[in-house]
This record gives sequence, C-alpha cells and structure tokens, in this order.
Amino acid sequence: MDLIKLSLAQIAPVPGLLAYNLEKHLEYIDRAKQAGSELVIFPELSLTGYFLKDAVYDSAIDFNDIIVNNIAADKVQTRNIGNGGCRNTINNKNEIKNKNDEIKNNSYILDELLDKSSEIAVIAGFVESDEDFNFYNSTCCLSGGNILHVHRKVYLPTYGMFEEMRYFKQGKAFGVFDILGTKAAILTCEDAWHLSSSYIAVNKGAKLIIINSASPARGIEEENAQFSSVKMWEELLSVIAFYYKSYVIYVNRVGFEDGIGFSGGSCVFSPNGTKDYCLDYLDEGLLNIELNLDFLKNERFKTPILRDENLDITLKELNGIINR
Amino acid sequence: MLNQYLPKIDSTNFKNINKLLMNFIREEVGRTGVNKIVLGLSGGIDSAVSCYLAAAALGSENVSAVMMPYKTSSSKSLEDAMLVVKDLNISYYIADITDQIDSYFAQSVYNKSYYNNSNLDFEKKYNENDYELKLRMGNKMARERMSILYDYSYILNSLVLGTSNKSELLLGYGTIYGDMASAVNPIGDIYKTQIYQLAKYLGIPDSLVNKAPSADLWQDQSDEEELGFTYKLADEIMYLLIDKMYKPEVVISMGYAPAVIEKIYNKIKKSQFKRRLPLIAKVSQRTINIDFRYLRDWV
Repeated sequence: MDLIKLSLAQIAPVPGLLAYNLEKHLEYIDRAKQAGSELVIFPELSLTGYFLKDAVYDSAIDFNDIIVNNIAADKVQTRNIGNGGCRNTINNKNEIKNKNDEIKNNSYILDELLDKSSEIAVIAGFVESDEDFNFYNSTCCLSGGNILHVHRKVYLPTYGMFEEMRYFKQGKAFGVFDILGTKAAILTCEDAWHLSSSYIAVNKGAKLIIINSASPARGIEEENAQFSSVKMWEELLSVIAFYYKSYVIYVNRVGFEDGIGFSGGSCVFSPNGTKDYCLDYLDEGLLNIELNLDFLKNERFKTPILRDENLDITLKELNGIINR
Repeated sequence: MLNQYLPKIDSTNFKNINKLLMNFIREEVGRTGVNKIVLGLSGGIDSAVSCYLAAAALGSENVSAVMMPYKTSSSKSLEDAMLVVKDLNISYYIADITDQIDSYFAQSVYNKSYYNNSNLDFEKKYNENDYELKLRMGNKMARERMSILYDYSYILNSLVLGTSNKSELLLGYGTIYGDMASAVNPIGDIYKTQIYQLAKYLGIPDSLVNKAPSADLWQDQSDEEELGFTYKLADEIMYLLIDKMYKPEVVISMGYAPAVIEKIYNKIKKSQFKRRLPLIAKVSQRTINIDFRYLRDWV
C-alpha cells in the first residue's frame, strides 16, 4: 500500500503576534510528528494572521534575510530553494549577520521552522517581501531544512470584507512540487475558487491539491447546520477532488479577528468526491490522517478524465479568447 | 427563487450559530486581558439573549448584570430581568437613575439661575412639544445608563457587552453613545425576528419572549408603534436591501409596499452616523481610521 501520513493543523493565529503564532506552530508540529506524520499543513497566513491591514508592513519576512540570518554558515550551504515555479532563485549575496543583532527582523520565524523541517515537512503561510519590497500572501513548504516550494497567492480577493490587493502583489504561477513520493500543488483560499488553478495543477501532475485558507464563516441557512460559506466550500472541494481525481486537502483557520470568525472545518476529499476526514467547525484541532495513493490510482483508471483531457483544445480556445 | 427571504434560526443551524457567538465572546473578550463582562439587563429579549450567550461562553461567575430603572419603567421589566439573573445565577446590581434624570431636567427646564447666555427658552420648548421632551429624556436615560455601565466596567474589571440587534442598529432606533455603546456585541448582526428564534433555543423564559418590544423609555412605549411598521416586515425588507443588496425598486417588484421600503431605506441612510466613529478632519499624512489602518484587535 502506498500510504502518505500527514496532519492538518487547524489553528487560530493572532494577527500580528508572530512569536506567539510560531510557538503554536512548533507545538502542533511536535504533535504531528508524535502521531507519525511526515507532513503538517497550516492555514493561510498562519504565522501572521489574516486581516493585517497596515500591519502587513511589520509582519513580512524576506527570504534573503533567512539565509543571511543563519548563524551557522553550513546551514546556508545545505539549504536549497526548490524550483517550484513560483519564485526566482534566491539571491544570497548579503553578508552573514548574527541573529541577535536583528531586533525587529521576523526572519527567525521561518528559520526556526526550517530547523524543524528536518524532522517533518511543514507547510505554513506568511507575508513575504521580495528584494523590490513587494509583499505577497505566500505559503512555503519546508522539508529537510530546505525551502522546497513557495506559493504566492495568485487570486487576491478585493471585494466585500476582503482587501488583499490593497496590500499584496499577485503571484504568477501554480507550481507543482515533489513531496512524500508524489506531486503536490498549493492553492491559497481564493485561488481554489478559480477552477483554472486546480486544472493547471492536476495537468502539471499534482495528485495532492493542498488548499490552505482563512475563510470567514458567513451566511445562515434554514435546515442547514453549516454556514453558507462552508457549504459552498465543501461543494467546491468535492468537485475538484472528483473531476480532477485528486486528493484535496483543505486546511482552514479558526479564531476571530475584529468580530470575523473563521470557520475551520478542515477536511480531506478523496478522488471519488467524498469527504473522508473532517475537523470540527470553529475550534482548533489537529487531524492526523493517512492517504492511500493506490486508491487514487484505482479512481484514475476507472474514470480516466485526466487522461482524456485535451490541452490542445483548451489552449486553442484560450488563445481564441485572449486574441479576440 | 432561492434564499430570497430572511432565514430562520432553527434547530439545525442553531448549533453552529451558537458556537460562533460563544467563541466570539470568549475570544474577543479574552484577548483584552479580562475574561469578564458586564451588561445592562433591561428585562427585554435583546439583553437577555446577550446575557445567556455570555454566561454560556464565560461562565455565570464572569457575567454581571446591571438593572437601571427609572421611576416610570415598567415593574415587569425589573421582574423579567430578575428571572434572567436567577435562571443564570449571575451577580446583579440595581442602580435607579430617577434622581439624576429628574435633577437634570429640573435644572435645565425650570431653574432660572441655570447658567447660560443664550436666548433658548427650555421651558417654552418643553411646553411646545411633549414628544420632544420624552425623546430627550429617553436619550438622556440611555446615556445615563451607559455612563453607569462604564463605571461598573471599571469597578468590576469587565468589558461592556452590547445588546443592540441588527434591526435597531440599521434603523437607528437607539441612542448614540447610549444603548449603542459597548465593547463587543454578539447580536449586532442578528435581526430582531431572528433574536426571538435564537431566544427560544437558548431557553430564555417565556415571559421575556411573549411581550411587545419596547425601549421602555416612557410608559406604554411600543417600538413598532413608534417606528410605524412591525419588525417582522422591516426585517424581511432589510434582509433584501442590506444582506441581499437589492435596490429598492427590486424589493418593490417583489411585492412590498413602496412607502414602507422608502421609509425604512431613509431611516437606514439617516442613521449611518450612529454606526460610525466621528469624522476627523484630515490634516496630516496619516490620519486615524482614514489611512492609519489597523484592526481593533491590533497587537
């Protein structure tokens, strides 16, 4: 049996309190490791909180600083940056500084997670700043002390209660990366609402679609235990899992920010479209699960939608739309 | 058409709504460093709902109620408030506001030695319009109660819990810096119609549920009489105007009377100021709440 053991960490980050959030990550990472998981996944912006507004400026981590800040020079050499397709190679020309000299530098946060990632792979959300001082709603996958992949959120909701485009720059790709002997893609919240993103991910080879989010609970419906937003999410996740014959791993946060409560309900949908695992709504929790890739293989054989996908037609039609 | 009507809080969705509201109180209160609340308990359904939620979220020992009757307040109001206090086993305080209200209005209206240099004749103004005085007294009472609550907030090291529902907040049927003032409000996004449904599942005594809504600012006051429409109708219309964001003409096309829609829409627009902080004249590069933008939960 081709099993993958992983954990979903449904936490309530406190906006702007990075040190507190890091401690919570470390606690959940240890628990996941004790449960025998090889990967632990945290929600969107799990290290910083979501509705940061102007505090985006104070919460950012620059990858250049992470490498710079490593006290031990050998770590710099052993840490590689994956070519997940979302980032250029990271420039490491800066001098090595002592971490203690940096009073207000947030980079130690990712540094500590990188250290932990030699024991268990970690996917966590943070505010990234680049060498041009742009800010991104980013998610990193750390493994073996290396940055395996970084996904910069592409679709930044800026409507209703959301104002991401006011602060963040859009990512430019949906990268697929190798992890736990298979291929995975990270979609962040709104990314998943655009069905093109999961279409791209599976056609690039992803078997695991990891969706990390900060989705507020909203909308009352009669004779429906769930909030409207939760219902829409679960329908979407089921569709992605079934029609793209993939495991969909959804990790949503909980907790409140200025009265807005995040719904939680982190869950896993199997390639047959059913919800196999689920954490409770609105409360923190850790879910340790096993995914069977043989089951995915079986589903893809029985219903070979992906095999028959015609990328040429899609491309031709897209070109037609763009050049119209 | 689906979902075109105000959804009921029912036995199915109650569980998660209740959990959300309790988590809200626990987390938003807890993050300030205190884990206690104080609220004004009127004997009405709104403050009762807030109180039951708070007691469930924080424990009865962390909830205090203050009853602040005026001499004309209905005695049933205090009795009903006591039902809540006893049912939840919470501490309570009774602070009668008659003296300070009467003293203030005695001074400003009748006392000729009252210091002023204006030509405004308070007595004449009072005699001209009885309703205006009632309104002024009602607002004064609401602000007196607010002032007492914030004093108790200090004494008890507790946050003031809000008790305004979505209907009255939207209609502006409340006193700015009076009953509308609070630190956190668990029921401000719940329409009055839904408050009744929520109350049923929270187990609030029938005596509070089965009476006409009243601000009880003067004898036999009735919310619905004063507003000129029922909460049931207003909530249906406001759900379409606000939650669904339909334009008034669309709501008219759905069969509601244009006059009522217009009246409600005007009330919502005219009371916008009550729901926002005071305007600040922008002078600097970075102005509070304009381009100095942080969560209130900012840390």
